[in-house]
Amino acid sequence: MGGIVLINCDQEADVIATRLDPLFTAQWHCQYRIDVVNNQYGSAFNFFLDIRRKNHRERSIPLHTVHATDLAILEKIIVALKKHTQLSLNFVNFGHVRWPESQRWIR
Amino acid sequence: MDYQQEPHGMFLMIDNKSFYASVESVERGLNPLESVLIVMSEADNTGSGLVLAASPMAKKEFGISNVSRQYEVPHDSRILVVPPRMNLYIQKNLAINKIFRQFVTDDDLFPYSIDESILDMTHSWRLFGKTPEEVARRIQLKVRHELGLYTTVGIGENPIQAKLALDLQAKHDHELIGRLTYDSFPKHIWPITNLEKVWSIGHRTAAHLERLGIHSMDDLAHVNPYELRSEMGMIGAQLFALAWGIDRSQLHQVRPPKEKSWSNSQVLPRDYRVQAEIELVIREIGQQVTSRMRHHRQQAGCVSLYVGFARADTENDGRTGFDHSCRIAPTDNAQTIVATLLHLFRKNWADQPVRNLGVGLSRLSHCQNLQLDLFQEPERQIKNDQFDRVLDELRDKFGKTAVIPASSLMPGGTMLRRASLVGGHNGGNSFD
Repeated sequence: MGGIVLINCDQEADVIATRLDPLFTAQWHCQYRIDVVNNQYGSAFNFFLDIRRKNHRERSIPLHTVHATDLAILEKIIVALKKHTQLSLNFVNFGHVRWPESQRWIR
Repeated sequence: MDYQQEPHGMFLMIDNKSFYASVESVERGLNPLESVLIVMSEADNTGSGLVLAASPMAKKEFGISNVSRQYEVPHDSRILVVPPRMNLYIQKNLAINKIFRQFVTDDDLFPYSIDESILDMTHSWRLFGKTPEEVARRIQLKVRHELGLYTTVGIGENPIQAKLALDLQAKHDHELIGRLTYDSFPKHIWPITNLEKVWSIGHRTAAHLERLGIHSMDDLAHVNPYELRSEMGMIGAQLFALAWGIDRSQLHQVRPPKEKSWSNSQVLPRDYRVQAEIELVIREIGQQVTSRMRHHRQQAGCVSLYVGFARADTENDGRTGFDHSCRIAPTDNAQTIVATLLHLFRKNWADQPVRNLGVGLSRLSHCQNLQLDLFQEPERQIKNDQFDRVLDELRDKFGKTAVIPASSLMPGGTMLRRASLVGGHNGGNSFD
């Protein structure tokens, strides 16, 4: 994505939430989880909904890609997303770092 | 064999290891060589689902191949299933080719498919390493470093050697590099007895060769080329050259096809039995192809229709479908073309259930002015023409589904659901 793109964190969280809702059907014996991936190669954060069920194949459905590398932006999106959903978040490839705002470990 | 007169270049054929699956692995922060991941298309017409790509580990551990069906894949929680995103793969392919351009000029790069490219490095390889293998390694590392993807490289003195080195050696090599030369060709290629493994030899050609008593590449190399040519025609001569690793193709000289044509086809999501439903899809495809042709300011003088029957019926009928064409006065008018298609369909269809439909437009000519038909009202003809152009403009500006015929909302219409597909699979735009 060339040029400077202003990212509206609430809007990004909304996009994720609207795609998440029809997919999260809350089935019995099903584990739902949101994977947040730090994609170093694409300089972006990727969001996926991961669905696990015993004796079924695991599924991973893309929700959104935020073209940013700034953790402060991601933190805001995550805060907005947490207002919408209680699903557990799984952070991939972030290493051992803290959130810029809350100073908690990213995990 | 005297190879002195043959071209001696340095070609690299580079392919991405399980391309779609690798891209999806990288997007999820997984190592493409370690993840057990399959890309499964669940578009309407793939039945229960079709595996577009499986990661190397999925192939190894579960025996999943790239064209497996959903029901052939075990229900195991270790397998990660993801939907395809065709547009993302196109983007990645462009990014990879951009890296290749750092090693060759634009004129020496030949994209061969979505995940394969041929690099003519005859003039540039010495800039990047002491041996061709070193150059290949360097390209591999660069792609891995910038995009996280693993590439397989075949090296040869001509394109065919590079392709065979890729298919037969590199894919099994620890470093993912294979190399063939005129000298090493007999040693590596002649022992092959499963002829179908060799590029350009398919199932039928292999059977034909078997019938001629040719059971290995060694046999093929030592057959009398004149006899082979009289038996198999041009292909015989080509196969003989293949067995000796000879390829005289000049990639820089682009040969335009003798006659261009426009066509679209699709597999229907289910067996269609009702005439109205089948005709609706024919109409949709007809309009789509005509619109593509109009974008190139051309008109067609021949319309062809392919109808493939459902598999269950093929056994009763003995035919797998029909393919008919019809000459018309050159036109780019969708209504005329669709009317011809429907005429062809009604004339030849005898109530068989249908699964495949295809439409082709050929005998193209450049379209400058509207040629009025003597037997129709001129105002009507001008109006029809303008109507088509307005539709094209609307669709260019606001997308393919900006204006659609109301009939596409009727049962059986496939246009709306296919509008967002790329190559028949999910484009993935909605995920960005």
